[in-house]
Order: sequence, then structure tokens, then C-alpha cells
Amino acid sequence: MSEEQTANVKGVFDAVVFFNKQIGKRFYRLGLEFSGAGAEAFGNFRPGQFAQLDLRGIALPDGESVPAELADAAQRKILLRRPFSFADVTKKDNKTRVEILYCVVGPASLRMTTLVAGNSVNIIGPLGNGFGVPEGKETALLVVGGMGAGPLECLAKVLTADYPTMEVVAFAGARTAKELPFERQLDAISQQLGFAVPEFSKYGIESLLATDDGSAGHHGMVTELAAEWLGKCSTANEKIIIYACGPEQMLSRVAEIAKGKNIDCQLSMERRMACGFGVCQSCAVECRAGDSNETIYKLCCKDGPVFDAKEVVF
Amino acid sequence: MEEMVDISVEFGRLRLANPVFTASGTCGYADELGDFVDINKLGGFITKSITQQPRKGNDTPRIVETDSGMLNAIGLANIGLDKFIEEKLPVIEKLSVPVFVNVAGETIEEYAAVAERLADRQEIAGFELNISCPNVAKGGISFGTEAWQVREITSAMKRACGEKMLMVKLSPAVTDISVIARAAVDAGADALSLINTFTAMVVDIESRKPILANRTGGLSGPAIKPIAVYLVNKVYTEVAKDRGVPILGMGGIRNASDAIEFIIAGASAVAVGTSNFVEPGCAIKIIEGIKQYCTGKNITNIKDLVGSLE
Repeated sequence: MSEEQTANVKGVFDAVVFFNKQIGKRFYRLGLEFSGAGAEAFGNFRPGQFAQLDLRGIALPDGESVPAELADAAQRKILLRRPFSFADVTKKDNKTRVEILYCVVGPASLRMTTLVAGNSVNIIGPLGNGFGVPEGKETALLVVGGMGAGPLECLAKVLTADYPTMEVVAFAGARTAKELPFERQLDAISQQLGFAVPEFSKYGIESLLATDDGSAGHHGMVTELAAEWLGKCSTANEKIIIYACGPEQMLSRVAEIAKGKNIDCQLSMERRMACGFGVCQSCAVECRAGDSNETIYKLCCKDGPVFDAKEVVF
Repeated sequence: MEEMVDISVEFGRLRLANPVFTASGTCGYADELGDFVDINKLGGFITKSITQQPRKGNDTPRIVETDSGMLNAIGLANIGLDKFIEEKLPVIEKLSVPVFVNVAGETIEEYAAVAERLADRQEIAGFELNISCPNVAKGGISFGTEAWQVREITSAMKRACGEKMLMVKLSPAVTDISVIARAAVDAGADALSLINTFTAMVVDIESRKPILANRTGGLSGPAIKPIAVYLVNKVYTEVAKDRGVPILGMGGIRNASDAIEFIIAGASAVAVGTSNFVEPGCAIKIIEGIKQYCTGKNITNIKDLVGSLE
């Protein structure tokens, strides 16, 4: 994985579900296996890229299994695909297995919960640009807000494999402990040692938690944790890079911190999108045009979803 | 057997290999769908709207999904005429499919200026006049709801576009679409395309605000198809048939059956829009499906199907 963009081939593929498990009240992980051309296309992924899932043909859960607050949403027929970034990609025996993290929030994700091993899902991807690693970086901070965990978990794996000498540390925040989209939290001793999240500690990466209500980790914002850590970090700023994915307000704060210290920073953005491959023009992200005061709209699906923090207008 | 079916169509002065287009604003400027579809297999291709100056477009959110449809309020975001000529025409030049450039603007002069600059370009087959975009403050639909304005802008475009074909895209949001269609044909339209989207709104009941930054957007997708079929049939029977003007029918088409409904209702060709977002290869599938339908019904020439509604 280097800074220059490798043009990978995207396409429309059918994948087979190999697991779909609930990991929290509203959180699930879905495993999808690609064969043939799909395995090749997704095998050449970059962390931070995403795929568009066609969920129209998937059944809704039984009436009683629909949470009361989603009963109205469940009545809506869906039309568009839904974008998900990859939390993990594994290549094995000419197959590529892609895991995505999802949260049940509406009529499409509700349908996803009924997928079982062996089901087929039609997928367009891999889409978007993905994260890059500029030359000479020695320390990487991964800043996660809620559902932003997926692409940064994928990045963590690739960084530890491709850059074994790089120091990587993850910070994960949510409103409450229950809203942290991880399979489980490690015990108090591990937490004390700074390995709070198994999704990161499995790669030997230190991880720290923050919750708005103090129900897990630091009582406050995840950006405070990251800033505090940076304050103690001995790596020269130009050798540090921050990667972040999460709510817009969090990204804005991360961008400010990075700007203040002149640290490179890449943000994975989210927008409502219809197509995912640049034709509908829905997913505009306002960006600075060079050094001028002018702004332009870039497309989250094609120019992003990863943007240099310096170019995004919040 | 399939070889016996002729699905090529006469569309004004053009001969199209088949009756399936991709609709403006759903397939980019030229080859953006090229990763998924061989554009040259289409009957025709329509670019997204081009304006004289570049346009940034509206704030986000620009789309929201609805039951069997979606609202968009992109706001005619485009790279502008100069960049279109410089960057996109060379790509279009390599295509063998007839390409229509969709033209928009805030004033009649702006529309005409775009057409004038492109009128002698061999790369393009014609223009689609967008007087039905519901998502801009000036221009767009404001030119498409009064017959006198439709006459005025169509005449100006007709003068500007020289020998090129002129297709006028109609809005469904009018009292009588036939009045507008007649005005366009009287002023020189060589073809009519219909329908554009319906102005619509989705409200967020938590914030009590519209979801779209533009407040309203254009409703497209399967939700609008029965209305579109009705309006195509109305324009066909009341205006287009007698005047010999072909109709490009569109609105919620996602499969061959949908497309065939439009053709029976009076469309000489059809355009696939919103479905390109979901199934980028669906236009090609529709071409095959139309062939199969004709074979099954012993229709040797698709023109026998156009307007065959009983």
C-alpha cells in the first residue's frame, strides 16, 4: 500500500454469505465470500474502500423481531444499494473473504439481519480511493467514532502487516459503552494495559476507549484522548499520520487537531449516495480548491471516501 | 430466430440500433458507466446537463430514498461547456453510439450559447433541451411550464443547433402536458422526451426539516412509472403521432416489461434512469428482453409495437 493510487478493477459480483453474527444490541458483522473475478477484484482492495450491496430481495425479519422503533421503517420498500466499507479482507485458496460491520438503523440494514450462510448477495465494488501511507511515517493514530470502526480495523491489519516497524495506536469513542461496535471488550487488566478493543489488539495494536457518558474508558470525547496521546508522543510531527472515520463533528475536530500540529491526516467521509461509482453526483463533499478561498464539490464515492483533512470544508 | 427481429428504430432523422437510451443525469458525461456497460451497445446516450459556466450544484443531502423511488436535488452540477469540450468530447468521439448533449441554463441566451458551440461537432448527434429540472432557482423547469416560453426557448435552440437534432424534455408538473408538447413541436422540436421528475419532499420528523438541503427534489424511480406511461400515451395520441415526432419515454423503467409498456403507449424509444444507479447493466438487459418479447410475440419489426395500445 503506497501513496499513489493503484487502479483496481471494479465490477458487479455475487458473493456468498459465510456468516452473519450479532455482536451487540444493534451491531452485526457480515462475512461475504467472493470467487473467480470477484475474488480477484476484492483481493486487490485498499483499506478504506467500500462496496454497494443490493439488499432489495432480502426478506424482512418476522414482525416480533423488528424493534418497535423500526416498525414504521420496516414498511418501506427499498430501491437503492447500500454502501459499506470493509472491516477485514482475507485471501485464501482463490477466494476473497470480506467482512463488513453494520448497524441496524432502517429498512435495508433490518433486512440484512436475516441473511444466513449460503445466501447470495449482489455487490458492486471495490469502490472509492482508500487510505494511503505517505513516505516516512513512523506513527499512525486511528481515531474511530462509533460505526467508523470498520475501515480503520481493516487499515490496522494492513499497516501491521506491511509496516511492521510502524507504531500504531487506536482510539475508539461512542456515546455509551453499548454503542461501541466491537464484539466484546477485554477485561479490566487488558484495559489497564491499554488494549481495550479485541478488534485492534489481535493485531498487537494498543487501543483506548472514550464514551460521552463515561460508561467505558475515558469520560469524554475520543478526540481528547487522541490529543492527549499526541501531547506525549515523542515522534516528530512530520512522521505522524492520523486516520479517522466517524461522525462529521468528530472528523472536524480531528482535522483541527492535525492542522494545529501540522500532522498529516486522512479522513474517511460518509454521504448519502445512490450509485457509488460517480454518476449520480449525490455524495458531494465540499473541498478547498487549491490555496484559494474557492470551494468545489468532490464526490465521496469516487474522489473519496478518504480525503486529506486539509482539503475538507467543515 | 432472434436474428429475425428488427429492433432498430427510426428516431427522427437517426437510425438507432435499438430503442434503449440511458437518461440524462444518470450516466455521467460519457464513459462513466463504461466499467459496467459497453456504452456502444445502447441505442443512444444522453449526457448530464451541460451549462455555459461550471456549476457546483446544491448542498448535501442531495438525495433521499422513498418507497420504490428516490428524490434528487443535485442542482445541475457540471463541469461547464469549456471543460466539457476539452475533456469529454474526445471521449465521446470514440463512441459509436449516437450521443445527445443535455443543455440547461438560467437564460435563453445561455442555452443557445451551449448549442451554438457544439452545433458543428461531429461527435454528437443532437441536443436534449432541459426545460424541466425542478432543482434550480433559475432556469430549468421555469422555462417548461408556459407554452409561450416553451415556444420561445425551443425556437432559439432550434436556430442555435443547426443541423443537429433537437429533443425537448418535458416536465410532468403542468396542467396539460399536451399543450407544452405542442408548443415544443410547433417551435421545431424534432423529438420529445418525457417525463422528467416530479417535485417532491421528504420530512425528517425528528428535526421537522426537509431531508434535502434544497428542501425539495425530483421524484424518480418505479414509483412514477404508471404516471409516466399515461403521459407518454397522452402526448402520443394528442400531439406526437399526427405530427410524426418520436417520443423518448422514461420514468421508472427497470426491466424490459417496463420498457415495452412505454413503447406500446407510444414511445419510439425509452430511457433508463434511476435503475442505472442500482443495476448499471440493466439497460443492456432491457435490450435483450425487448428482443425476446418480440420473438415470442412474432413481432418482426419493433415499429409495429410503437403506439399499439388498444
